[in-house]
Amino acid sequence: MNTPGTPELLGLLALLAPAAAALVLGVVPWLRRSGGAAAVVAIAGSTVALVAAVAVLAQRAGGGPDVLWTVSWLEAGGRGLARVGVRLDGVSVPMLAVVTFVALAVQVYSVAYMHAETARSYGRYFAYHALFLFSMNLLVLAPNLLQAFAGWELVGVTSYLLIGFHFDRPSAARAAVKAFWMTKLADMGFLFALLLLYTAGGSFEWTASLRPAVAGAVTALLFIAVVGKSAQFPLHIWLPDAMEGPTPVSALLHAATMVAAGVYLVVRADPLFAQAPATREVMLFLGAGTAAFAALLALVQTDIKRMLAFSTCSQLGFMVAALGAGSAFAGFFHLGTHAFFKALLFLAAGSVIHAVHSNELSQMGGLRRRMPLTTVVFAIGALSLAGIPGFAGFASKDTVIGAVEGQGGGVPYFLLLGTAFVTALYMGRALLRAFFGPPCAAAAHAHEPPLSMTAPLVLLAIPSVLAGLLGGWLARSVGAEYHLHLAPTPVLAAALSLAGLLLAVALFRQGRPAPLAAFLERADRASLVDRSWALLYRQVLIRVADVSRWVDRYLVDGLMNGIGWSTLETGSAVRPVQTGRMRDYVFAVMVGALLLAWIGGFR
Amino acid sequence: MMLRELLLLAALLFSIGIYGVLTRRHAVAVLLSIELMANAANVAFVAFATLRGGPGEVLVLFSLAITVSEVAVGLALVMLLHRRYGDTVLDLAQEAKG
Repeated sequence: MNTPGTPELLGLLALLAPAAAALVLGVVPWLRRSGGAAAVVAIAGSTVALVAAVAVLAQRAGGGPDVLWTVSWLEAGGRGLARVGVRLDGVSVPMLAVVTFVALAVQVYSVAYMHAETARSYGRYFAYHALFLFSMNLLVLAPNLLQAFAGWELVGVTSYLLIGFHFDRPSAARAAVKAFWMTKLADMGFLFALLLLYTAGGSFEWTASLRPAVAGAVTALLFIAVVGKSAQFPLHIWLPDAMEGPTPVSALLHAATMVAAGVYLVVRADPLFAQAPATREVMLFLGAGTAAFAALLALVQTDIKRMLAFSTCSQLGFMVAALGAGSAFAGFFHLGTHAFFKALLFLAAGSVIHAVHSNELSQMGGLRRRMPLTTVVFAIGALSLAGIPGFAGFASKDTVIGAVEGQGGGVPYFLLLGTAFVTALYMGRALLRAFFGPPCAAAAHAHEPPLSMTAPLVLLAIPSVLAGLLGGWLARSVGAEYHLHLAPTPVLAAALSLAGLLLAVALFRQGRPAPLAAFLERADRASLVDRSWALLYRQVLIRVADVSRWVDRYLVDGLMNGIGWSTLETGSAVRPVQTGRMRDYVFAVMVGALLLAWIGGFR
Repeated sequence: MMLRELLLLAALLFSIGIYGVLTRRHAVAVLLSIELMANAANVAFVAFATLRGGPGEVLVLFSLAITVSEVAVGLALVMLLHRRYGDTVLDLAQEAKG
């Protein structure tokens, strides 16, 4: 073990401050149950993590080198299974900054948003948040795939805990189990990828170089995990249901950070994926397909959070498509900007829900007069998401589409361009439905949330506009090239986004339905993917589980019980031999002696 | 052939001893039978010592000492048996029955 220097210490601090907060809240029940104090502890941990992350970022911006600090883990025979620690480089440092920043903003926002909870569950909420931030940082700073897997599973657990936060509500409990089940199914891919990687290459390194067949298998297995975590078709169905969690949770876990972990994993493991062109091809098509598919479904959602969830699926599809096109930078760039504007949209939606006490778009409307600040920040988020020039989303989305175009264009390219149009359409719809048009019943009493909720909104709105300017810096940081130039594709994408927005204004001001609405609503209600999984679950998995239970109960347990039973029975059967009469024992000794003498006589 | 006859005597004594141990019901009779078996061994020792040489007589002295102690212990057990069951019939003690 080597002594850590300053950047390593900062990295460790970003990792361990939330861990300490989670630990304290976990083992000191009276502190957790006190509510407000628990929030202070969690937010203090996140603040330390953010300060450390920013310090590392500043150090790197000043020309600091890559830093790797690890200790050996699970030593056996003088050799550790793997090394764990922190890796601070051009990929992890920006991600760490984004994660800690959004996490802190969301936690501060939650202080007022969750005030109606009892002190007990208020504290529990913040304990989960601290645990989440630790898990996410563990994943982000991972020096190899094994530590990443640990973080990956931990964020899955915290996601489960937070979706099911209101576990007394059956729908929330179901949604939590569903999310856990779906992502866990996909995580098996990660586990098998790890086993294969270690068997074939002898290490868990991000940069292992493998035989083509092995690289193909490892990346394909990893991609299964990515499909689950980043809610890509056909495993996307857990994400809309995950909206049962409190809105700040949706903002942090199910929009900005945790679901983006899949994308981050691929960016990290880019050297592996570069060895597997076939996997990338699949990613390109699946990502573009998911982007288009989810965007269309977002168009007909009536629940504002579900609409944003489908939008998240769609945007993650953009990122996956970029990664499939071989541009880790484009995917990573979009991940960063998306984290800001999607967290912003969710938090703004949260303050609307806070005001009107409903998730339904039909219960909203005309809120712009009562909630001007929320309207402005929601509009900023919406325009950024729609990819309107001048906002962060435009720069990153163009990078993605440009990367796909550079890969040969074709079907994914047109799918993504079409999705850019639909994205603007559905965001325009949400904006107009919620904030413009005839005021709803609740609009009269609606009011802006307190400062502790509006401040995070404003803080997230700034990077939602400006983060696009960081593209060049981020490209240098991850070792890619980036320049915004006047090419047909960005112009086309911008024009499509604007057209979508204009169409939205034209259609939804009069309250007309979206194009294809009837068909899409029917598709949404039919939810074929959902039903297929349910069918698989009920008809196949439960049956397999029943068979396993039978085998376990009657064959495995039967074998064990049989051994015990037969031992007892044999004991009972030979029991009468012990008569307790002295002479019988003496007789046995004599017979034995004679027998021995007889045998001895033969030798 | 002196040795042969002496060994046959020893074997006879031993067999009578075993027979007694196996058939007598009273503890004192069983003890007597055990003494018989021990003396069968003593006869064999002496026979070998006088006809073939070797330290047999010494071992007989040891054997006698041990037998005496054994009888002391055995009689104590008989006393206990009597105190407990009111009789010295060995079959009364069957606590070790399985």
